[in-house]
Amino acid sequence: MTRIALSLTINGQTHDVLAEPHRTLLDVLRTDLGLIGTKENCLEAECGVCTVLLEGAAVNACILLAAQCQGRAIVTIEGLAAPGQLHPLQRAFIDHGAVQCGYCIPGMILAAKAYLDTNPEPDGDGVREALAGNLCRCTGYQRIIDAVLSAARALRTSPPSQAAR
Amino acid sequence: MDAPGKVTGTALYAADFALPGMLYGKVLRSSEPHARLVRIDAGRAARLPGVRAVITAADVPDVRYGGSVKDERVFARDRIRFAGQPLAAVAATSPDAAAAALTAIEVVCEPLRPVFDVAAALAPGAPLVHDAWASYTALPILHRDGNVCNRARIVVGDVERGFVEADRVFENRFTTSSVHQGYTEPRAAVAQWDSSGQVTVWSNTQLPFEIQTTLAEILQLPPSKVRVIVPGIGGGFGGKLRIGVEHFAALLAMKTGRPVKVMTTSEEELTAAYARQPATVAVKTGVTNDGRLTAREARLWFDTGAFAGSGPGVASVATLMLAGPYRIPNLLLEGFAVYTNKTNFGSFRAPSGPQANFAVESQMDIIADALGLDPLELRLKNIVREGEEGPTGQVLTAVGLEECLRRAADAIGWRDRRPEVGRGKGIACGWWTTTGGSSGVYVKVNPDGTVALNTGAAEIGTAALTGAAQVLAEDLGVQMADINVVSADTLSTPFDFGAQGSRTAFAVGNACRAAVADLKRQILALASKHLGVEESALALREGSVVGAGKRATLGELARISQASGGGLIAHGTFVAPPTPYDTKRVEGHVYPAFHSPSFHAHATDLSVDAETGEITIHRYVVAQDVGFAMNPAAIEGQIEGGVAQGLGQALSEEIVYENGRVLNANLTDYKMPTARDVPRVESILVQHPSLVGPFGAKGVGEPPNIEPPAAIANAVASATGVRITSLPITAEKVALALRERAK
Ligand code: FES
Ligand code: FES
Repeated sequence: MTRIALSLTINGQTHDVLAEPHRTLLDVLRTDLGLIGTKENCLEAECGVCTVLLEGAAVNACILLAAQCQGRAIVTIEGLAAPGQLHPLQRAFIDHGAVQCGYCIPGMILAAKAYLDTNPEPDGDGVREALAGNLCRCTGYQRIIDAVLSAARALRTSPPSQAAR
Repeated sequence: MDAPGKVTGTALYAADFALPGMLYGKVLRSSEPHARLVRIDAGRAARLPGVRAVITAADVPDVRYGGSVKDERVFARDRIRFAGQPLAAVAATSPDAAAAALTAIEVVCEPLRPVFDVAAALAPGAPLVHDAWASYTALPILHRDGNVCNRARIVVGDVERGFVEADRVFENRFTTSSVHQGYTEPRAAVAQWDSSGQVTVWSNTQLPFEIQTTLAEILQLPPSKVRVIVPGIGGGFGGKLRIGVEHFAALLAMKTGRPVKVMTTSEEELTAAYARQPATVAVKTGVTNDGRLTAREARLWFDTGAFAGSGPGVASVATLMLAGPYRIPNLLLEGFAVYTNKTNFGSFRAPSGPQANFAVESQMDIIADALGLDPLELRLKNIVREGEEGPTGQVLTAVGLEECLRRAADAIGWRDRRPEVGRGKGIACGWWTTTGGSSGVYVKVNPDGTVALNTGAAEIGTAALTGAAQVLAEDLGVQMADINVVSADTLSTPFDFGAQGSRTAFAVGNACRAAVADLKRQILALASKHLGVEESALALREGSVVGAGKRATLGELARISQASGGGLIAHGTFVAPPTPYDTKRVEGHVYPAFHSPSFHAHATDLSVDAETGEITIHRYVVAQDVGFAMNPAAIEGQIEGGVAQGLGQALSEEIVYENGRVLNANLTDYKMPTARDVPRVESILVQHPSLVGPFGAKGVGEPPNIEPPAAIANAVASATGVRITSLPITAEKVALALRERAK
């Protein structure tokens, strides 16, 4: 199949790739660019492990064509904080024991990020609603909700110096 | 311990693993549930662009494998036994090319009369799923007969006499559905062969050493030629114990000479993985008017699917669960694993636990209601106590059950069991094992004073290895942050029975203690020489040896040893001491006693909408006897996650079959609880220290999954007066039952 040249803006950097037009963003991220922090599971927009930010909104990269994302800002878990640093959400997930196997966590954190960006003062129900598209089979969600609420507080008092691009 | 890597996306999982030049493998699976395989033609598929190999039964050694019964082959050879059975596999340059090739493989088969459930499989004259079952190699202990691949039995006293002594005899029947472990990372494996004829497989198995053995059998190689490495696992819950895709990857890699990756789809997970066995349970219990249990006769039939797999073992465990944590003098308990034309169901967190517990704990409430007794009182009257016998005669110690029951009930406000119309509280209790098996570790002191823990166990996300590392840190007097874990590589790490059965923290932790004892001897001897101080005057404290006003750090001693003695390293091992039981009470049993059993009670307060049957959970409390709470937050995390999964099984999850085919093989229609659905779970950690666990700890990972269905069923009955005897307890089912009753 013929490949097309794509120029993708991921975590503030431009990546030029050659890919067949039917390839998904998830596939290109993981296979071509080695950005494996974005996870793969159902491939049908049901589990949320592939969540990335597209122009700040949480989307499932498994059903998005890479070609559709040209010229739009994409943030993956790798771009949430500078290397060696943690975003307050990442910090809170660790501190609250919200991480077990961890496979759902990158998607969960990005879904939470998108939500907090527009809802800086959330309540538990709001967070539960916002994360309902992200399955976690290990934690029972409670610690995840608590982590997001506490990160929201932290973000209100001291926004990260190195915010996501 | 590994949380920073997981939150930043740098942690590597098997599903992420890739090698240069890697091909992608996919598996062609049967759409017929039971058929004679007449012909399979892969010629056209092999010529498609990007396709590098197609393999069928004709390309692989004709080997039958299996843990308890050797009844399974890599690919169907002449007979198809379930819809989803592998027929062929393709390796291609992209997953799409591999998928396209699958559709080009021609399969010709002639349907055979199927058996779709246990009742059909046991009916007189039923077709045999395995005609040649009697000729298969199997554990000699199993009781096999036609479609029954094991009947496990416990007999105690005389049930008939027990029923005569009873004032009332209760007989009830329950059914449960098949549910999937629901790990978020699909099963995945990458295989690569080297020039010496060794294959390395990177897989997300919970049991690397078992996969090594099975692969060696399938590939007809000595085990040393098979190396299994676990890079990281995104959840297992028992679903990643048995061979999944490793053999396809290895065979395709052998054929192509290239590394090959195989990863399952959601459809494959829901049609051809190791989901929980559906069960039918019949329980007959005799009781006196004042609530003393006199006898129980119970049978549990597991649909094990087309192959035995875990079935014979799980049927054995089921009999211990059918007894419940109760003192019943007369028992006849049977667990059956029955072949049908479905996928080979397997082990899911506390295998057999929820199915058996749902039945016996529902019946306890039925009995209490009929006798006009409080369900809590009925339980307290009959539960096992310190020093008493379990069903197979094992002596029970560290029995924290009464405390669990009382504290769970108190927490939920048990006294007021029906606070308003349509609202009720329910309780259920149970017991579970801490699986034994052996563990070995190497513990090495690095030249900077940090410590490497080398273990064959894989960290599956339960923090169990963190628990083991904590034991190590504690014993050696170093900080947790100073411990690095190397794990799960069959070539280089010591043997471990694997991350299963709530055993990892327990067994690896104990092996660490053994290693530390040896390491301490080495350290003190070396320090004594180095410092010129009698060993008896030295002590190990906070990463240093101190005594007689002198001090040497662990790092210093490690460096001295490296220069002069090959380094400070110790091998520690542990094997759970066998739990004595009465051999005369059991038959066909591969799991006759529970090691260091744990005890638990769950209580819930919920409302049921009279119109829609919708259930709203207000409170959910777990009181679990964990022996010793080494890491309370991690244990609570296990409890919360286990309950969430248990509530899925209780309320919404079911792999729906129609004529042997799965109707909901996708995550849209297979409904797992989301953040919206799971209530806040309150944990009460009860601590009656086990005699053998590290610091008294018992296994904690599986138990929280056991009681939710029964606790929910009992609370629904208390709220509505309607007793639901089949899982899942969906809103539709409850609404229908309410309408039936209103008629
Ligand atoms: S992989 Fe994209 S939602 Fe599941
Ligand atoms: S931590 Fe394992 S799926 Fe969420």
